[in-house]
Amino acid sequence: MQSHESHAWLWWIPLLPLIGSAIAGALHLATLRARKNDPSAAAPGTLAPWIACAAMAAAFGLSVKGFFTLQELAPSARQLASTVHHWISVNYPARGEFAVDLSLLLDPLSSTMTLVVTGVGFLIHVYAAGYMKGDPGYGKFFAYLNLFVFAMLMLVLSSSLLGVFIGWEGVGLCSFLLIGFWYEKGWPAEAAQKAFVMNRVGDACFLIGSFLLVRLFGTLDMATIAGAIGRGPVELEPDVQLQVSLAALFLFGGACGKSAQFPLFTWLPDAMAGPTPVSALIHAATMVTSGIYLIVRLNPLFASSGWVLPVIGVVGALTALIGGSTALVQRDIKKVLAYSTVSQLGYMFLALGTGAWAAAVFHLVTHAFFKALLFLGAGSVIHGMHEEQDMHKMGGLRKYMPQTFVTFLAGSAALSGLPLMSGFFSKDEILAHAFAGGGLYWGLWIVGVLTAALTAYYTWRMVALTFFGEERFDRHHVHPHESPAVMTVPLMVLAVLSVVGGVLGLPPVLHAPHLLAEWLEPVTRDGSRILAERAGEHELSHTLEWILLGLGAAIALAFAHTGFHAHKRGTAQDETLTARRPALAAWLADAWTIDTTYKRVILLPLRLVSFVVAVVVDQFAIDGTVNGIGASARDVAQWTRRSATGSLAGYAMWMGAGAVVISLVWMWS
Amino acid sequence: MTNILFYVLAIVALLGAAGVVLAKSPMGSVVSLLGTFFALAVIYLLAGFQFLAGAQILVYAGAILVLFLFVIMLLNLGAMGSKFELSFAPLQSTRARIAGCIALALALVGLVAAQRASFAAVPERDASAPAIDSMEGLALELFGRYSLPFQATSLLLLVTMVGVIALAKRQRSGDEPAKGEERP
Amino acid sequence: MNVPSEHLLYLSAGLFALGLLGFLVRRNVIVVLMCVELMLNAANLAFLAASRQHSTAEHPALQGPVFAIFVITVAAAEAAVGLALVIALYRLKQSAETDAAAEMKG
Repeated sequence: MQSHESHAWLWWIPLLPLIGSAIAGALHLATLRARKNDPSAAAPGTLAPWIACAAMAAAFGLSVKGFFTLQELAPSARQLASTVHHWISVNYPARGEFAVDLSLLLDPLSSTMTLVVTGVGFLIHVYAAGYMKGDPGYGKFFAYLNLFVFAMLMLVLSSSLLGVFIGWEGVGLCSFLLIGFWYEKGWPAEAAQKAFVMNRVGDACFLIGSFLLVRLFGTLDMATIAGAIGRGPVELEPDVQLQVSLAALFLFGGACGKSAQFPLFTWLPDAMAGPTPVSALIHAATMVTSGIYLIVRLNPLFASSGWVLPVIGVVGALTALIGGSTALVQRDIKKVLAYSTVSQLGYMFLALGTGAWAAAVFHLVTHAFFKALLFLGAGSVIHGMHEEQDMHKMGGLRKYMPQTFVTFLAGSAALSGLPLMSGFFSKDEILAHAFAGGGLYWGLWIVGVLTAALTAYYTWRMVALTFFGEERFDRHHVHPHESPAVMTVPLMVLAVLSVVGGVLGLPPVLHAPHLLAEWLEPVTRDGSRILAERAGEHELSHTLEWILLGLGAAIALAFAHTGFHAHKRGTAQDETLTARRPALAAWLADAWTIDTTYKRVILLPLRLVSFVVAVVVDQFAIDGTVNGIGASARDVAQWTRRSATGSLAGYAMWMGAGAVVISLVWMWS
Repeated sequence: MTNILFYVLAIVALLGAAGVVLAKSPMGSVVSLLGTFFALAVIYLLAGFQFLAGAQILVYAGAILVLFLFVIMLLNLGAMGSKFELSFAPLQSTRARIAGCIALALALVGLVAAQRASFAAVPERDASAPAIDSMEGLALELFGRYSLPFQATSLLLLVTMVGVIALAKRQRSGDEPAKGEERP
Repeated sequence: MNVPSEHLLYLSAGLFALGLLGFLVRRNVIVVLMCVELMLNAANLAFLAASRQHSTAEHPALQGPVFAIFVITVAAAEAAVGLALVIALYRLKQSAETDAAAEMKG
């Protein structure tokens, strides 16, 4: 099945951004040194964005080449592999060989991810070249950004879980560096630490899951694992079933950390402390979707995991609801988008929970388009408003920044799922799958529909508060202006993609091919087959599908309309809510008080225990003992030093006395 | 007859030892020590150790005591008194009393230990009897069973020689020892 | 001579005790060294007494004399080093008293 032909050029896809990162970093350091000698030297690293963007463009070109190479192959043979190094090879006499290769695998799934990462990533790089202009860390920023892309590409291209883990940690590191990019301000550094620590929880789960897989299959190669499960019997032995379920659960835990799912999502809103292009690239379009990628990649494992799938669905639905409801009351435009991202990621996990692998990837792709667009648009607004992020201090911006406004509208339409937009089709597909699942999934469907309504509402509230209504900013000090072309052109490209992205996955009732699902079919086939054999096929009648489509469209339109008109005139609606239901507003604004709960339940006892350990155990008991021993030795020495008189006769006297004692003992024993 | 000679010599040895301790000048101590060594040498001879008696005279009286004399002369300590005089001044302090107690205790321990040994009587030995430490027997022991300690002794003497030269050399301040002196 | 070997040991103990007494009470380093020689001689005498006791005409007990020879060698070495130290001390302190070198206190 696997192609034996080596495709070493695959390595250039991740390596190009790595090289770009190294060059940009070196440029930054060189500029730093130059400025140290001459403070009036030119703005730092002006060459860095060119290099970074060139590396991204080249990587994108190679990704496109990979895509077309794959397309020429027969669907079942669409796999390009390249192994350059037999990294780990351990021979256990009892269990056989355990080997990990340093190898890449390009198949329809990783090709899709690579295209999204490099394509959207390239646009965001171009945008960032304008957005970050004049920042003292200009070169450093692009070094980090390119390094992130390298790690992300390693994550999606590696054929073994260990390689994925390297990328997984790499993107975590870059996320940390970029969230804390403006660390001088203080709170971005704290947000970066929070993201890093919360991700560690997930990473520990990831590792445990990997260990369980090694125990089960003796390998970390994902194709081998998926193949072993896919070829094996549908019904597993009870103890094997338990291990498979546990492995799937722990891997899902890892995905929860990286993809900001309940209960580990609280780092993502704080991650907005980073520059806006970072929020767009890492915390909306790519890194946070790696959890979805992981589950789709191992879909046969999750399909046979039994009760883990409903757990994923419930967690996804809950996260979607929490994110959507919290986004309703946020005033910070980036916080709205952050909670919206949490919510949409929840949608994707809801899709995975129903076994709709392709639908999850479909939503991932469309979400990458429109959420990147929205973040970049928000960045453009913030840029034009002199770093103002509070929507209550905006309003009426549509006449100042028309290009941003139009593209933002396109992104909002896609996010809220207005008919025929990309988000409409992807969201509808997920909801249709949930509806078809029956039983528990009916509940998830209801939550999904509710969240769709919330999504439409908060999206258009955001649009209304930002671009419509009276101008609530201080006109003497703030002069809103349109962003330069280097920023608006990527917006337009993304806007077009957001609008037409839906053609990738048209619903079956339109009698058009679901392009993405067909493309991913070699990857998702085994998982779907296992699910079908275990739970039976769920086919929706065309009438029902039409009804669901219509329902989705109606809800989106209705709530978009409500949300828009309730906030068109200004902040009155928000103030009414805060005045009438202060407790509810506070509860929503605090994201269901989950962060506060963490502080109370985990942080406070931890601090207490740390205090006890540090002061009572360490300083008092351990230090006291050690210091006491030292002090007593000193006291004893103070006392005994008197015997060392320096007088030879004195010493001889003691020696003689000792000789007497020893000989007496010797005589009477 | 020789038994009486032994007791006389023993008393001479003890008196000599007392003289070492009580002599006022170091010169007197050396002379007393010389007496003790000679008395001991004769006792060795009586007991049948001819080689040891010779070594006692040669090494102790001939070499070590001469070394002492050299040093006394060198440091000009002999001028304290040309006459042989005893001085009980060192025994007049509290420290000396404690030292006396210790020495007495050790002597008593030695005496009791010797008394308890309860040796069998030794046969009469006359002057014509062969020596216990015949040269042949000693050589066999030293170059046979004890050859390793014997060679170690030579090393000890070498080290001693180097050390003594290094110690006794008059050093100018900040001057490294010359190369020739490190080579024995 | 057929003096019991105990008597030789008595003499040895007496010499040793006198040597120790001198070692403890005298302050002149040269005399102190002489007292050390005295004690070593006492030890030699004890070795030889034991050898004499255990010797027969056919089988002389030679460990005693051998050890006495070693002791003599060591005594010679000790005297040489000790006297070199006396010279060094005298050069440093213009004195050969033990109390002159009492600086290394605890």
